Amino acid sequence: MNHDTLLIELSKILGKDQINTNPEELYDASADRYKKYAKARKVLNVPAPVAIIYPKTSREVSTLLKFCNDNDINVIARGGKTATEGGLENWKETTLIIDAKFLDKIIKVDYYNMQATVQAGVALQTLEDVVRQMGFTTGHSPQSKPVAKFGGLVATRSIGQFSTLYGGIEDMVVGLECVFPNGHISLIKNVSRRAGGPDIRHIAIGNEGTLCYITEVTVKLFKYYPQNNQFFGYLIKDVDTGISILREVMVNGYRPSVARTYSEGDAGQHFYHFHKGKCVLLFMAEGNVDIVEATAKGILKAVDKFSDGILEKVDSKLIEDWFNHLNWSQKDIDDEIEGMLEKDYHAGFTTEVSADWETIVQIYKNVMRRITKEFPRANDLTLLGGHSSHSYINGTNMYFVYNYKINCNPEDELRIYHHPLQTIIVEETLKLGGSMCHHHGIGKYRNEWTKQEHGSAYFMLEKLKEAFDPKGIMNYGTIFPQEDGKKYQK
Amino acid sequence: MKIVCLIKFIPDVEDFKYDHERNVLIREKMNQILNPEDAVAVAFALNVKKYYPSTTIELVSMGPQSIIPKLEELLRLDLDQATLITDLAFVGSDTYATSRIIAHYLTKHKFDLILTGTHTLDGDTSHVPAQIAQWLGLPHLSNVNSIHMNSIDLGRLELSVDHDQEIMSFAVSTPAVLSLQKEAPYKLPYVRFEDLNKDVSERLKMLSLKDFDLKREDVGFEGSKTKVIKTYAQTLNRQTKIEVTTDEAGIQTVYDYLKDKGFLK
Repeated sequence: MNHDTLLIELSKILGKDQINTNPEELYDASADRYKKYAKARKVLNVPAPVAIIYPKTSREVSTLLKFCNDNDINVIARGGKTATEGGLENWKETTLIIDAKFLDKIIKVDYYNMQATVQAGVALQTLEDVVRQMGFTTGHSPQSKPVAKFGGLVATRSIGQFSTLYGGIEDMVVGLECVFPNGHISLIKNVSRRAGGPDIRHIAIGNEGTLCYITEVTVKLFKYYPQNNQFFGYLIKDVDTGISILREVMVNGYRPSVARTYSEGDAGQHFYHFHKGKCVLLFMAEGNVDIVEATAKGILKAVDKFSDGILEKVDSKLIEDWFNHLNWSQKDIDDEIEGMLEKDYHAGFTTEVSADWETIVQIYKNVMRRITKEFPRANDLTLLGGHSSHSYINGTNMYFVYNYKINCNPEDELRIYHHPLQTIIVEETLKLGGSMCHHHGIGKYRNEWTKQEHGSAYFMLEKLKEAFDPKGIMNYGTIFPQEDGKKYQK
Repeated sequence: MKIVCLIKFIPDVEDFKYDHERNVLIREKMNQILNPEDAVAVAFALNVKKYYPSTTIELVSMGPQSIIPKLEELLRLDLDQATLITDLAFVGSDTYATSRIIAHYLTKHKFDLILTGTHTLDGDTSHVPAQIAQWLGLPHLSNVNSIHMNSIDLGRLELSVDHDQEIMSFAVSTPAVLSLQKEAPYKLPYVRFEDLNKDVSERLKMLSLKDFDLKREDVGFEGSKTKVIKTYAQTLNRQTKIEVTTDEAGIQTVYDYLKDKGFLK
């Protein structure tokens, strides 16, 4: 179908205010934050979508997906636009972006049953603000909280900064509604728990728009006690010490909402005013008074056990101040782009991996060694480090962070800098049995390792794709590797 | 038109690491960069080539063989040839001996224009371009900050020179030696991703003392007019570190400091 015909057909399904063909907005919709520098420099090498469309109901989503499926039109589901791994990037000449902008209703907030139901386009901050007024919280707080929307958060298997207490989004979603390419609308009901066969929520959670379009989500609510928060900070000898203390806290059953260890380099960018060139360990205990007291005791006990690695205690007010400035707003995102244009400098590129306690430090060390030794542009790195920020009973994550001066053409930046760095991180992680993608999803730029990531279980992923999206119209290139996508990757 | 660009690789001053215990620079693994004003000269030459595609550009540099990868990086731009003048016998050459060696090479080659930078960040004497022009009997202008592209094929270049507080216009017949300044609006492009590993070794030529009609005593320490009487490490005073917090007192401390140093009135 040619693009003019497509727009005519769309106008038969949607109102005028639901079809956006503004060239600047289509250019913006061509790629996500993965290519933020190239996008800002106006050198994107991927096709623009034909239109951004804004359905108002699940029924409209159903009609649109069926239309796209019947006409082989690629569909990219979009929420708050904070994707970082190319999940929102377009690789097809004929693509529609289905944006959740008008799916913006808070359907029900049920404080007795501790759950809230929202449409996919509701921003996390919006719901959080509503429930906070009543003394509750969603417990979900990714850095993108002011901008990110529920559809995207669930579709990308998001995690928040207080995950050690509240869990990732997969622990919060009670039920959801989603629409499949053939137009079928599935509603997964909200129950506290059930043993009704496989947990089908997980077909939608983390599907990154490759299987279905999420239209509605029900999440848990938690009581909120900010007045009880306690903060703990330490300068520590090395990353090993920090990971050992995190483990000690977790395996003894404590659940601080924030539990983090920063390498020297990474600490420098977050805690420049007190890190003194050392690694930083920090915690926040949150919840009702009794739980906070118990958690605080557990933290102090763990710190005491590894006191040989503790160099100095940090004033808890400094940790609290840092905590109060964690999230970035739309203005922060815009300022970041301005900064990159002024300085040809890329700050804050990351790759996040996870592994068990025994392995994570080894991965960290191997990555640091290989990057220093092998990365041809090591001289352009202005920061190389990482932090562990999400811990579990059996392991933790490592958030590798690297900043660099960009000494190449803007269209080559990712291939010269980010991708070789990410390759080293992914290779070392997979080699030691970890996961290459702790919480950013696979997107389009880690799909070359999807098969390795899942091993023999990749069979199950493939079958899901075949079953739910047999014509492959859902977010072409995301999660599932595509031969003709290599021209954008390598 | 044939353009020769005289270039030099220097230690990256932004990458200096200092051993505060021994008060010396740590030179091991120090990154080498193209002298910024020489980069401006090469950038302008590439602009000429873009405008006049029949233009050929040759890079000429004197230095150790360790700069070969850097020269190859430049050749991966649209440059035609690089000549590296390299020999242990040349070590210790002052600006007089250096200009003599380079001029000796240039006398045997045809060219229409020699471009280079006015200053180098490491030496900063600005002697070499002027002395090469003297050896070759060519006109020389330094602090050139723009060259009018339309005048290039007229055999008489029109250009602007930054002279203290004023910009002066000149016309110069070619061949000539022009030293550009870093403020000139020419920026070296980056090598395209596809060309990063391109084999350019065939376009790199290396010359040593035996390729010159020069004697051992004409070059290196012996051939240099400048005699170093004494070298010493500059004494650095350790600065007192002041740590402030983001409160009224901290802001006042920073304000007073900036005022004291004359940054604020």
